[in-house]
Amino acid sequence: MVMIFYYVISAFLAVLLIWNFIREKKNVEDMALYLLVLVPLVLRILRVK
Amino acid sequence: MSGQIGIILGVMILAYAAAKAAKLSVEISMFLSAVAGGIGGALVRTPSFGQLFRHLVEGSFTYLDVILVFSTATIFMAIISESGGVNYVVRATVRYFYNKRVIALLLLMIIILIPGALTGAGSISLLVVGAPVAMALGLLGIPKRRVAAILFIVAGLSAAAPPVNIWAMILTAGTAIPYVGFELPLGIPVLLLGTFTVLVLGLRKQAATTFEKALKGMPEVPAKMSWWRVLIPFLVFFGSVLAYRIWPFRFPVLGLPLEFTLSAVAAWLVSPKKINILTLSRDTVKRLLPLLATIVVVGMLQQVMTATGVRGLLSFAVISTPLVLLILSLAVVIPVSEGVLTYGAAAVVGIPLIWYLDSIGFHATVAIAGLTLLWPLGDGLPPTALIGRLSVMVSEYKESYWKFLRSTWLPWLLITIVGILMIVFSARLEFLVRWSM
Amino acid sequence: MMRRTWVIKAILVVSFLALTILGGLGLYEQRRFDIPIVAGPGVTKVVKLSDYSQGLKGTIADTLVFILEGKEAGGKALIMANTHANEPEGMLAALIMIENAVVDRGTLIIIPQFNHSASRNTKPGDGYPLYFEIETEWGKKTFRMGNRDASPLDQWPDPDVYIHYPEKQLLSFIDARNTNRTWPGRPNGLLMERVTFAAMEIMRREKVDIAVDIHGAETMFPVTNCIVAPEKSLRIATMAALTVKAKEGFDSHVEPSPVGFRGLSHREIGDHAETLPFLLEAPIPFLDQPTGPKTEKFLLDGKDPFLLSLARKKKLFVPYDESGWPVEKRVGQHCSLTMEILRQHAKRVPDRAVEVRGVPRYADIVKNGVGSYFHDPAKAERSKIYLN
Ligand SMILES: [Zn+2]
Repeated sequence: MVMIFYYVISAFLAVLLIWNFIREKKNVEDMALYLLVLVPLVLRILRVK
Repeated sequence: MSGQIGIILGVMILAYAAAKAAKLSVEISMFLSAVAGGIGGALVRTPSFGQLFRHLVEGSFTYLDVILVFSTATIFMAIISESGGVNYVVRATVRYFYNKRVIALLLLMIIILIPGALTGAGSISLLVVGAPVAMALGLLGIPKRRVAAILFIVAGLSAAAPPVNIWAMILTAGTAIPYVGFELPLGIPVLLLGTFTVLVLGLRKQAATTFEKALKGMPEVPAKMSWWRVLIPFLVFFGSVLAYRIWPFRFPVLGLPLEFTLSAVAAWLVSPKKINILTLSRDTVKRLLPLLATIVVVGMLQQVMTATGVRGLLSFAVISTPLVLLILSLAVVIPVSEGVLTYGAAAVVGIPLIWYLDSIGFHATVAIAGLTLLWPLGDGLPPTALIGRLSVMVSEYKESYWKFLRSTWLPWLLITIVGILMIVFSARLEFLVRWSM
Repeated sequence: MMRRTWVIKAILVVSFLALTILGGLGLYEQRRFDIPIVAGPGVTKVVKLSDYSQGLKGTIADTLVFILEGKEAGGKALIMANTHANEPEGMLAALIMIENAVVDRGTLIIIPQFNHSASRNTKPGDGYPLYFEIETEWGKKTFRMGNRDASPLDQWPDPDVYIHYPEKQLLSFIDARNTNRTWPGRPNGLLMERVTFAAMEIMRREKVDIAVDIHGAETMFPVTNCIVAPEKSLRIATMAALTVKAKEGFDSHVEPSPVGFRGLSHREIGDHAETLPFLLEAPIPFLDQPTGPKTEKFLLDGKDPFLLSLARKKKLFVPYDESGWPVEKRVGQHCSLTMEILRQHAKRVPDRAVEVRGVPRYADIVKNGVGSYFHDPAKAERSKIYLN
């Protein structure tokens, strides 16, 4: 049951990262880093790994 | 084979150096180094090219839970800070203890030690109590560089402090030694070294502040702020951590991220000031990005290093060193391994080392305790420098990172000496383990 | 300027998708890959672990239990493998028994993939291959390479420290997913505690005499190439070790199970049931830290230049030379030791004997290879094939 909260937390974090990625206008490195952090989160939410 | 692996290691270092030379950030450079290592390995099919993406993706999961802990803990503290709670606590501490400097310093040390001791992560100490303690130390007339130095060393000690020491847990789990009897072998050195650190770095008042000036220099606190508004979120946090310890078979396993989330919700509810949780969280993630990216990339790096044999080569180099040289080299090898691999270092270097020391008559539990005093020092070293960077971040120190690191030299040296002596005399210190049980 | 930002973002998103999809696909497939097991002539019943503990019903932790009953009544033995799913020699030995053993007396209960969730997990940071293949006469048989711990997809989150039930000893948080730390388990505890509880229930309800938990351990680990046994199993363990040394010519020493270290099968099974537990360890160089690349070949042949050099410096706990520690030797030792433990038990308690034939011994497996004991699922009867 507690596990559901972890998918919610992961999804919340993923949304924050995507939001920041969209807002980022200049720093290309930061854009890339947002996406890198997103890799494990997205795959966990999709229950791949 | 070591030649072939050595070339892959060389390729990784070159890629890192080239990326840094092109003025790319530490995180991107490490990522490129991992990719380069993977391509280097693919040329000799260790692992094959088709597996490269899988290794990078799988590696990114190594510290996924740490990402969740960092994010939720920082959002929690951001809410406390935004609501005025941090300023409120600092105001009170300075008012009561301004003229009792030693007591104030020891009290602040204990405050930093507790969260890390309970969770095994110095980062949690800094994320939870780092900012208010940094402010309090500043008001006691300690310059920012020394504040950062105190936070870094004491947070590192908090991670090593019992009851939870993650390096020791990884080592005991990997060597099949029970995780028991660490209370005294870890507790005594941590308290002594912590006291030494805060006194050496904090006793001398450097900025010429007076009590009145200090009080005036502190930011305003919302009028409705009160002790219980500050305390409730922390009670939720420590309550949920302790509840599982007290009723382990009745209380559900919440895990640190959820414990911090619950505390964050509590903090948001009792805040005297309306807080926009979405924008606050968004900005917190932006601030945390370099740390989160480091954690993800270190995992990828570790995976590529293992798959290609680079990790094994490094581990082999450590184990093959002659005993006396090996023990002396620990002063450098242990912190550097932590700087490169973070907790992964305990497995890569620590596990074979402990097996070896144990087999030639060292006392494993005491030796592990000694080693785990050295590892936190590495959290200040690049490329990761997780705790060092957090210390700098929460203390708002803006100058050169190296100057900050250099100011920790005296406690650093003492911790190194104590740690190594504990390993050398582990058999004679065995009574500490017995008394703990 | 705006245009440029959009182009960069589009490129980044495409690279992100490429990395995530190409990298994630392999992991996705590994979790869903089934191993066909051909039930041999001795298998009389195949049940599920959840039949012994409701708490496992419908979870991925549920796993197949093969039962081989003899014509004559006798004792009962439980064999568990893949307690750690990254130590595959145990599973290979258990599968050889399932596909070949015939029981004359008593009952053999075999759980070849005990930590089923871990066998569908991988170990981040350690760069294992996802699969390994064993040569057979009819082609290659493919197996999943699992992890030591259950997948967080099935048990998440980890506690900040794992508190062992019922002794309250503090263990590393990661051990909450390690089925060799969660013994004796609880019916409604964490998923892995339910797995070990179900096995305890088998032993208590079926009145199992002997339990053998089959592992592999690093060559630099002192507890390797041995039988770990608590006080009450020591006699049989010692006799088994001496007999295989004399008759079959391989070494395996006996390690007493430490009393103060909780959660391990060789400790808790004996303390919470009448069963006599044994834990077998064979050296698996692949799991050592100071080794070359973690390739499938190395997993199987156990040959590594770094370990060879360390062996010359006397830093390993097993003999090691250019021949490495091939999987045939590891699986052969496990088969021989398991059969020898059953034989020694039969000698001591004849009316509770478990008599088994058809299981190859050490010398057979070293000579013929592990694969020669697996049957082609394409030629087997449909009803005999089980996917796990
Ligand atoms: Zn094992």
